[in-house]
Amino acid sequence: MKYLQYHWKPRLVSVLLVSVAVSLLLVALDQTSWAQQINLQGYSHGENEGAGPNIPSVLMYILPFLKEIVLIGIPMLITLLFVKLFGKFKHKN
Amino acid sequence: MSDWKQNLQKTRYVMDVLLLISFMLVSAPQATGVPLHEWISLFFIVPFAIHLLLHWNWIKGSFKLLFSKVSAKARFNAIWNYLLYLMMLLATVSGFLVSVALLPDLKINIEIQDFWSKIHHDSATLIMPMLGIHLALHWNWIIKLTHRMRAKSKANASSIAKKQANI
Repeated sequence: MKYLQYHWKPRLVSVLLVSVAVSLLLVALDQTSWAQQINLQGYSHGENEGAGPNIPSVLMYILPFLKEIVLIGIPMLITLLFVKLFGKFKHKN
Repeated sequence: MSDWKQNLQKTRYVMDVLLLISFMLVSAPQATGVPLHEWISLFFIVPFAIHLLLHWNWIKGSFKLLFSKVSAKARFNAIWNYLLYLMMLLATVSGFLVSVALLPDLKINIEIQDFWSKIHHDSATLIMPMLGIHLALHWNWIIKLTHRMRAKSKANASSIAKKQANI
């Protein structure tokens, strides 16, 4: 782990300081009128669905990962295709 | 694969694989359950910080990339990495602010706002396609390192087999 240990303390402190500073700015978002509007409207996600979907229990463990693979994989494939086409187009010109 | 710690690229590869696996675990609260999701999220900070530390030189020079004469891909990659970092922070911060297990377990009680629930759900969903694009931008490196790692492990396996045959 020599690469990880190299100057790791000052670097980690820098990363943490920047992250905490940005996080504090992000936390301040709840003071905006946008946040107040959402709080007034209310928001619920998957809480009022009763007993849940009627699917085999094993799928309950597989489907979330399948969803991730699709949500990560499709944009990845589209980007790869775009980069390849862009590269070909660039070589032609 | 035992020499990966001696090589920066291989160290990055192994740590990035661990980061991806932990990200996938963190991003599936329906499978892990919310309490485990929140605790894994806390420990997810470690591989994420390691990822940043192992790319320290890029981070240091990345701000200059935005204003120097580099390819469109390099500039887009820099902007994208910043956005991904921001989105990761937003998902993490909002996750702590809607915690129903981790913070109460630590005897910290907060009032959960609908705003943060929405932000957490939306940012966590948005991170996935953003990560897909991030992976695509580094696809050549991923393929190259995968081949290098596999070649090395095959060579190790054949040398072990030779040694055993000699015994």
